[in-house]
Formats: sequence, C-alpha cells, structure tokens
Amino acid sequence: MILAIDTSSGTSAAVFDGATRLSFINFDDRFGHAENIGLAIQGALTEAGIVPADLTLVAIGRGPAPYTGLRVGVAAGIAMSTALEIPACGVITLNAVAKKHPIGKVLVVADAKRKELFIAGFEDGAQVVPPSVATHQELENYSDFVTVSGECDAGLIGEYAVWALSQKIDLTDTSALYLRSPDVTPSVGKRVTG
Amino acid sequence: MEFRELTVADLPELMRLENELFPGEAWKEDSFRSELEGTFTDYFGAFEDGLVGYAGLSSVPASFSSDVQTLAVASSSQGKGLGRMLANKLISKALALGSEAVFLEVRVDNNAAISLYSSLGFEQIDVRKNYYQPSGMDALVMRLGIEQPVVLGVESTCDETGIGIVKGNRLLANALHSSMDEHAKFGGVVPEVAARAHLEALKPTIAQALKDANLTMSQIDAIAVANGPGLAGALMVGIGAAKALAIAHNLPIYAVNHLVGHVGADVLENGTVSLPTIALLVSGGHTSLLLVRDLLDDVELLGETIDDAAGEAFDKVARVLGLPYPGGPQIDKLAEAGNPKAIRFPRGLSLPKDMDSHRFDFSFSGLKTAVARHVEKASDAGLEISKPDVAASFREAVVDVLLTKAINACEIHGVKRLLLGGGVVANARLRQVAKIRCDEAGIELRIPRFSLCTDNGAMIASIGAQLIMAGRPPSGLGFGAESTLEVTKVQTL
Repeated sequence: MILAIDTSSGTSAAVFDGATRLSFINFDDRFGHAENIGLAIQGALTEAGIVPADLTLVAIGRGPAPYTGLRVGVAAGIAMSTALEIPACGVITLNAVAKKHPIGKVLVVADAKRKELFIAGFEDGAQVVPPSVATHQELENYSDFVTVSGECDAGLIGEYAVWALSQKIDLTDTSALYLRSPDVTPSVGKRVTG
Repeated sequence: MEFRELTVADLPELMRLENELFPGEAWKEDSFRSELEGTFTDYFGAFEDGLVGYAGLSSVPASFSSDVQTLAVASSSQGKGLGRMLANKLISKALALGSEAVFLEVRVDNNAAISLYSSLGFEQIDVRKNYYQPSGMDALVMRLGIEQPVVLGVESTCDETGIGIVKGNRLLANALHSSMDEHAKFGGVVPEVAARAHLEALKPTIAQALKDANLTMSQIDAIAVANGPGLAGALMVGIGAAKALAIAHNLPIYAVNHLVGHVGADVLENGTVSLPTIALLVSGGHTSLLLVRDLLDDVELLGETIDDAAGEAFDKVARVLGLPYPGGPQIDKLAEAGNPKAIRFPRGLSLPKDMDSHRFDFSFSGLKTAVARHVEKASDAGLEISKPDVAASFREAVVDVLLTKAINACEIHGVKRLLLGGGVVANARLRQVAKIRCDEAGIELRIPRFSLCTDNGAMIASIGAQLIMAGRPPSGLGFGAESTLEVTKVQTL
C-alpha cells in the first residue's frame, strides 16, 4: 500500500494498492496547504478503507513548485515515513506529469512565481531538458515542443512512483526540489547620519 | 449538589463538620487554615444547604506525587456516592498537576472507604501501626498509579527545529537543530533559509528525540505543535510534519501557542509554574511582557515591542560595531571590558508621556539608531571609540528598560513573581540585573535552564501535556499557521 502526497499546487493525497488507485482526496486551495494536509491524508486513508499501519511506502511530490506550500507535503511525507518506519520515495512533479504524455516532444511547464517558470522537456518519454527555471521569453527556445501544464497531484505522483519503482528508477531523494537559492543577499550596513 | 474549591472563608463550616465527624481526632483549626492557605494544597467542598463533604490533596512540585490529606462526608449525606465524587475530584486534580501517583492513609477498620478506594484503582502498599491517635488504630497506605501522557512537541516558529518529549511534567527529551549558522552571513534570520533548514532537520531531530527518550513512536500518546506566532513558512513545515505524525499513529494533536510555551517551560524545570506570574519573553523575534494567571486559560499580553525585538537590536548593534551574527553573545563578551555608564543611550518608551499608552511596550529601534549615530559621529570626526564602552552602555540600556518595565508590571499588578524566557536570557547582564532588582523588590525570579529558555520542542510538548492533563479536547486536523497568533489563544482548536 502506497500513500502519495503532493502539495505542489493544491493539497492532495492518494492511496495505491499496486497500480490501483484506492482513493484520492484533493483540496484546490493554493494557500491552504498547512490547513488541508492532515485532512487530505486522513481522508485518503479513510476512503481507501485502510489504517496507517497497512502502508508500506510514502511517495512524496518533490516539486519544483512554490516553496512554502511544497514543503508542507514534503514535511508530512517525511514525518509519515519516519513515524511508521517505512521507506519514502520522492517524485519530481514535472516527471510525473510527463508520464501522461509519452509521445513526441513535450515541455512540462509550471508556475515558479516571480514571473518565472519551472520547466522540463521530454521526447517520447525520455527527458531531454532537465528540471530548470526559465523566463516566459526563454520558452521561445522550445518552440518545437508541445507545452503542457505542469499541474500535478498525488494521483500522478503515486502512479509515477509505482511505474518508476517497477523500472528500478532511483527515487530515494525526497528533498524538496527548489532549483533556486533563497532570494536573499547579505545586507550592507547603512549609515543613519547623513 | 455543588462542588467548588474551598477557601479560608469556609473554615467555620469545615470545622463544624470535622468536629462532628471525628470527635476527639479532629484536626485543629490552625492546621486546616494552613492547609487552605497552602500553595501546594487543593481542597474541594460539596455543598447542599451548606457543606456536606470535603476532601483535600497535597502535591509538592517535582515530587510527581500527590497525597490525599482528608476526605469526609457528613453522616446525613453518606451512601449517595459523594465520597466517590470527591475522590474523583482529587484524582482529576492530581492528574492535572502532573502527579504520577496518589497516596492515602485509611483506617484499617474503615471498610467502606477501603472498598471505595480499591474500586477507584488504589492498591494497598503498606500498613502504618498506631497511626491514628489517640485510638492507636493502624492505617492502611494505598497508592493509585497515574499514567501521565507522553507528548511529542514540534517547534519550528523561527530558526530552531525542536522536537521535545515529555511525560506529564517530566522532561524526557529535548532535541534541537539550529540553522543559526546558515543565517550568519545575512546578519539575521532569513525566513526562506529557516524553512528549508526545518525540512532538512525534521527526520534526524525526530529520531534524536525518540532515541534520547528511549521511546518509539508507538509509545507516544499525543502530538503538540506550535502553530504561531512565528514565521509562516517555518511554522508550516512543523505543522505538516506534526499532522502526519499524529495520523500515522492515530494520536490526538494539540496546536499550541509558542509564547505560552516559553512560560510552560518552567513546568519542566520546576514541576509546576508558580502562578500568577509576570513573564518577560525576550528573543530575536519577540519582546513580550505577559501576565499569566492561568497557563491554559488566562494569559494576558501587557506589552510588547512596537518595532525591533531585543535580540534583533543586539544583532543590529553588533553589525554597527563590526561584530558577527548572532550579536548577543558578541556584545555580551565585549561589554565585559566596557563601562556601562560611559554613554547614556536612550531608554525607549520610558518617558512619563509614554506611560499612558505604552507603559509596558518596548521600542529598540531608536536605541539602535542612537548607537549607530554615536559610532558614525566618532568615525567622521576621526575619533577612536571604545567598542567595549559602546557595547556595555548599549547592553545596559536594553537590560535597564526590560527589567524596569518587568518589575513595574510586577508591582502594578501585585504579582511578586517574574519568569524569564527566550534566547536573550543567555545574556549574562540581563540575568545579573534581574537577580539584583528582583531581590531588592522582593520578587521571586524564575529562569529555566538555557535549553528550556531558547525555542525548543519540549516546552511545546509541555503545553500539550498540560492541556491533556486538564482534560481539554484535542485540536482538529484543519488548523493552520498563524504568524501573528495572539498570546491569549493558548490552543487553536
């Protein structure tokens, strides 16, 4: 039994028995991650009719996504796996979305805030552009790609995890994928007198 | 039937009933008076057209146990389950106070009482010969074990990831990961850096706390988490984690106030937090003066900083003096060699005109500017300044204003107790002056050990435990981060 968690856009959780999705709970609210994370997880477990002890793996959506919300899901996933002493795996949301578009050249694009985008490019399912940050203007460099929305949820994360693990793809990294350093520069002392 | 706590005003009725029930063996009025006035005793009375029953409990802090002092029911009211109700009052109180056992003595021939206590779970552990005088009757010593809740607390309001574990009032673990070093190059806490560090520290800090307490997650009874006040992004990491921990083991979760946690920390040090108390909480994020009459129900914000927190002022002045972050320890060290009276820096919001609206508020922004101005002026004039003198004079101004207002709060509110909390308590001069001024004013000063003064998970767990011990319902799963959570809101449901 796999519990998938994702807070890259809304807040969602899903339970999978192998490749079968037993439940899926999603809160669309883009700002209510801390409020909704427990309700989503609890709801997904209840809807699937299982107890936490039935779980054998936690699949965590790593982003890239707006950081504040993203971290809530990653934190919950790590805590869940720690508390239950079961492994956790991490899924890059752009990869999970791309799995739905296995044919042709596809550029998965998600909002990165500050007028930037998170992107990753795929050709016939194989990654050709790694997850990165791009400006709207830079999208022109990928004019031969079909652009698809990078909006992800726990259903896609779980599906991808089941598939990737069957392909022996390494998902051991569960850290949040930020792709940018914290936006801060060391302050210089200002004079207070003229 | 009405139950309430007894006071000295009830003494005449109490003595009438005592003398009626225990002729020849009754307690003296003076003994009862001191029991009713005692800090560590709790007496309950049952009333129905006057006093018809009473019971008393003694709980010495840090002994983690309570003793039943007496339990009596008027002859006319016996056989109605009143003794059981009073005994349950005492047990609830013992539970709420953090006791892990309740002891009592009962006459070996008092079969009704012995069977009542047995049915409540008391077990016979000893016999005291000739205990009751003058009859010479033996006493049976009985004991009720209380399993206090084991609570894991999560703290992530600022730059410390804290996971603490308590059992009732007992501290079991206080694991901490600080991201302070990562903020050093920025000269202050950077929210995004702090939030990232929390996420990374989560797993190892939880593991460390469980290891220190020698427990597994399945032995935890409840989760507590600070949901404010603090940095929103940082708080949300702790909340996400705490909710998952709770769901994983089907545990109740308690969303608690970080600032009240600082007051509750003294429970872990002292076995109890003596109330009422004025609390002065000083850190890089807060400078708050509280009046705490009840840890769970009556916390009042008397005043707080209207601009910079005291710890922030230390950081900013350190930067002016070319010292690294965090500024507090640096300035403290430098100030040791300086003259605190060398420069008279301003005491914010301390003028008579400030007393109406800002008597207990603080302002450190003007002080920081005054220090910068002093340093710049000297440097422009090509003069050498004594950094130790500046550090000592600045530190003196901060300490002076903090303690003047705190002690004024004690006096105005008639509360002869002051509790210090927050990271700035590490400041040697603050502790020293607090001691001197409290001694002068006859105020009892409480300073928990430093690891309980700075942000930590154990103090959050402690508030969670207090809520459980007092029989409060857990929070729902839908609470969020409240970066400006008011101190009056001890628990978010």
